[in-house]
Amino acid sequence: MSEGEEGPASEPLDLVRLCLNEEVYVKLRGDRELKGRLHAYDSHMNLVLSDVEETIYVVDDEENDEGDEKIRVEDDQEIKSVTKKSEMLFVRGDSVVLVSPIEKS
Amino acid sequence: MAGHNMAAPGFSQSYDPFAELSRHDDDADALDFEDTYDGLGDQLDETDDAFNDDTFGGEAISSSNAPVGRDFDFFGSTAKVANAMEEEYVRFNRQPPAPRAAATAASTSTNYGLPGYNQASYPPRPARTGYEKYKDPEPTADLQVDASIWGTAPKKAATPAAANPSQYAPPPAGRKMMSLEEVEAAMHAAKPAVMPQPQVQAQHPPHFASPQPQVQFQSQPPPQFGRQDSVDYRYQQPEGQSQVFQSHDVRHTAQAQGGPHGHPITILQRPSSKPVPAGPSMSSSLPQQQQHLQQPSMSGPTQILQNPSRMSGDAARMGYPAQPTHPMHQMHRSQNSFSRQPQAVSHPAQLPAMSDQDKATYLEAEARRAKRNHKIYILSKDNGLMTPHDKSFITRIQLQQLVSATGDPNEYGTDAALAEDFYYQVHSSLAAQRPNPSQPLNNFAQTYLFQTGNRHGGMRRHNRGPENHMQRMEQQVQRAVEAAKNKPKNKQLVIEGSLGKISFSNAKTPKPLLNIKRTESGTEVNRPASTHHRTPAATGVTDRKVTLRAIESVYMILMKMEDHERTMPPLANGDTDQESVERQSEWQLVAEKLNNQLWDALKVHEPIGANAVHPFIAFISYPKGKKVIPRVFRQLSHEQRTTILTLIVVHLDQLDVVQGAQVQSGEPINLSAAMRESIEAFSMAVMPCLFNLLNDTELHIVTAVLGIIIQKLSIDTIARTRIGISMLTMILSRAEIIKEAGLANEQAWQQWVVQFNDFFNHLEPTLPNIFPGSVTSGEDVYVWQFLAAIGIGASPDEQQRLVLAVKDRVMDTVALSKTLPADMAKQRLDNVNLFMRSIGLDVELLQ
Amino acid sequence: MENGTASQGEGRDPSGFLAEIIGNPVTVKLNSGVVYKGELQSVDGYMNIALEKTEEYVDGVKRRTYGDAFVRGNNVMYISADS
Repeated sequence: MSEGEEGPASEPLDLVRLCLNEEVYVKLRGDRELKGRLHAYDSHMNLVLSDVEETIYVVDDEENDEGDEKIRVEDDQEIKSVTKKSEMLFVRGDSVVLVSPIEKS
Repeated sequence: MAGHNMAAPGFSQSYDPFAELSRHDDDADALDFEDTYDGLGDQLDETDDAFNDDTFGGEAISSSNAPVGRDFDFFGSTAKVANAMEEEYVRFNRQPPAPRAAATAASTSTNYGLPGYNQASYPPRPARTGYEKYKDPEPTADLQVDASIWGTAPKKAATPAAANPSQYAPPPAGRKMMSLEEVEAAMHAAKPAVMPQPQVQAQHPPHFASPQPQVQFQSQPPPQFGRQDSVDYRYQQPEGQSQVFQSHDVRHTAQAQGGPHGHPITILQRPSSKPVPAGPSMSSSLPQQQQHLQQPSMSGPTQILQNPSRMSGDAARMGYPAQPTHPMHQMHRSQNSFSRQPQAVSHPAQLPAMSDQDKATYLEAEARRAKRNHKIYILSKDNGLMTPHDKSFITRIQLQQLVSATGDPNEYGTDAALAEDFYYQVHSSLAAQRPNPSQPLNNFAQTYLFQTGNRHGGMRRHNRGPENHMQRMEQQVQRAVEAAKNKPKNKQLVIEGSLGKISFSNAKTPKPLLNIKRTESGTEVNRPASTHHRTPAATGVTDRKVTLRAIESVYMILMKMEDHERTMPPLANGDTDQESVERQSEWQLVAEKLNNQLWDALKVHEPIGANAVHPFIAFISYPKGKKVIPRVFRQLSHEQRTTILTLIVVHLDQLDVVQGAQVQSGEPINLSAAMRESIEAFSMAVMPCLFNLLNDTELHIVTAVLGIIIQKLSIDTIARTRIGISMLTMILSRAEIIKEAGLANEQAWQQWVVQFNDFFNHLEPTLPNIFPGSVTSGEDVYVWQFLAAIGIGASPDEQQRLVLAVKDRVMDTVALSKTLPADMAKQRLDNVNLFMRSIGLDVELLQ
Repeated sequence: MENGTASQGEGRDPSGFLAEIIGNPVTVKLNSGVVYKGELQSVDGYMNIALEKTEEYVDGVKRRTYGDAFVRGNNVMYISADS
């Protein structure tokens, strides 16, 4: 363990590499989040995710397409969130803000 | 558009009314510029004039044929007949240069504000001489180059009208306004006829002179324009004026006369130019302008006078015949006004009837309309206007400006920059010509265009040699690119340093903003410190990342190893080739090194018990850790694999697929999807490896493995998981196979039996609970397999105990099978029979 | 943490500074205004940042925590070393 600190994780992208084939949380611009399994990434943070759940946070007063059946609206303070599920997603890197592994408790 | 003035040498030559005047006054003598020049030139905007010749190739034309006069030979048209031009040029040189040269010289001089040269001395040339070539070969279409480009739109309008002979004919009689559609239709109809008839051209001129009549045509003209050269317009202006003076009827003839001057078409038509004679007659009545008409060929000297024409040209740009404003025009005012008024009326005949005011308004309205129409026309008609040749020429000029403006830093202060400057070239060309006015080279544009450097090389400061302008353009592009390349570099040098690097990047291609040193020290110096300070609580996270890193490095090393495999040199078979042996051993060294790296990365040798979870067990707790095992095994020695097997067995109860994966008999199977996935992955990836390994294993090792399980692990935990059961089955089966194959000596077998009995004793209490879920779940195949493996090796006593332990499940399954469809029932019973038959029984006995 | 001895102010240039504060607690502010506090694992030339034990603050309110977080560099406004 003691020597575990050096090595591949010496640059930020290595952190993402460690998430390969793992569940990750991805924060996107525009108050969107993704959770899914990371299959691939590149230096632009283009991502390929599978079994993705996308959450979009919407300010309350904005009318949203809640009518959509696939969209679940839940009240969270003043913010609503809608979620969508996708089997597989390609995420263009420029919208990515943050990537974090989801740690199994 | 404004850039084009009638004054352009090419155009002015034959038609300038003033030129005519000058001729009249002093036919043989050169005109004194000061005498004839009213100073209009000073008022002209000549800003862009310098381009005229180059752009239009006016010079080329003029040079080739002295009387070029009106035809504004846009370069495009000339380009099409490039060969002809060259021929002409040659011819020109051979011909008595006097008239042309003078004319051209005059024109050039005028353009450049060097009116000093009087070309009047030259006898006017017949307009046709030079251009006759063009007539036949060139279809009108070729000549389509539009004057409109140059802002002479209104004139264009006129030209189209001219194009339609039929239409033209009517004008005098009193044309009526035609809609654009009508005009077009008429034009289409007339088109075929148009070309041959010079008269048509003649018609154009009137239009020019009088914007209003033209206006009418303008709507129509576009198509016609195409046919007839836009070039014509220049001539037309003068002509127009003259025509104006003349009765409208006369116009045609006058125009026709004018035709020879300016319009390429006219030139072509010349052979048939019947109108010409009429023209003179008409012109006689007219002052200078008339003269022009009459003696288009004479234009040479008149070029000086071209200024007026420029004026008109300017006026034309404005959309109006500018003449009134111009002094020159004023001189002719009577005429002009005359012409205008009639023009104002759609039909010449109507004009007289109108009041001045009406006329003015009419004119204005017409002009506006003409403008609009012209705009439309331009928009639609400009396509294909320029030939590639034209474009390349323009591009070249632009590039030159660009290069000289951008500047190659390295070239500052040198003449190189000058050498490519268009204006400089023109200047030198002019300067060179001045001393020798008789030089035919008045047309610097032409020389510039076609300069091969040799002909007038002496006059040029920079002798370029025979390279053509396309080549030069390429060079210029190259230069521009180079200059562009150099500049940012320099900037970067300046900016770099203070803030690291200011990078010029965009969203698509971000560039590193910082130069982060990734030295070991950079991270390690501080790292260890913080690491050491980590609270125990943080170790969970740390372990996780350590494991993930280990997995990644294993993958990396594996890729290297697999890559290395491909480079394996051929084995030295028998013949001890020194070299190949060496290569072999070298390769072997690398392979070993990689193997060591892999072994380290797997962390198999981490001390057992030092951590809550052994690193390797943690390793294979990740799906990607499991998936990599088959690849790892291929790279490992048997010994290493055995070590791994042992390690796994030792930690069997700690495997993620065992720990937390227990199922309770009779209760619904409660495993998460992730756990199921994990179990599946382990079964598919790890188990086969272990199975294969075990199949190569001696009995004593199998015995030892079983011993480990008995001594160190909770059999109850293991036996209630699918992976645990599978592992046990595997071990038991291997022992049985060894025995049946007779590979085991008696002693070893006895050891095994002892171990087995011990195991059975440990297992017995758990047996009733090893079935996953209820009897209906149908996921208990692996348990029956396990029981079968036990049953085979069990003593009769043990078999009996075994039956007792699982009797309930057997009976339940048999009972259940009776309620199931036949095929499903059979499957269930077959599963049970796996066990029953191992102990010499059969489910059928129970039914 | 106690390791604050790594003199952050002495970096000769930004990259030097960043290299020195690796492993230390930092505050990262994004252009969006979101703030992350955590231990700096690494930074690269694109200002991509890897943080450990990260807390996310939106408008000063703690919203989330991440064990590890990769922040894409183009979003980063600044990185500051916490004392």
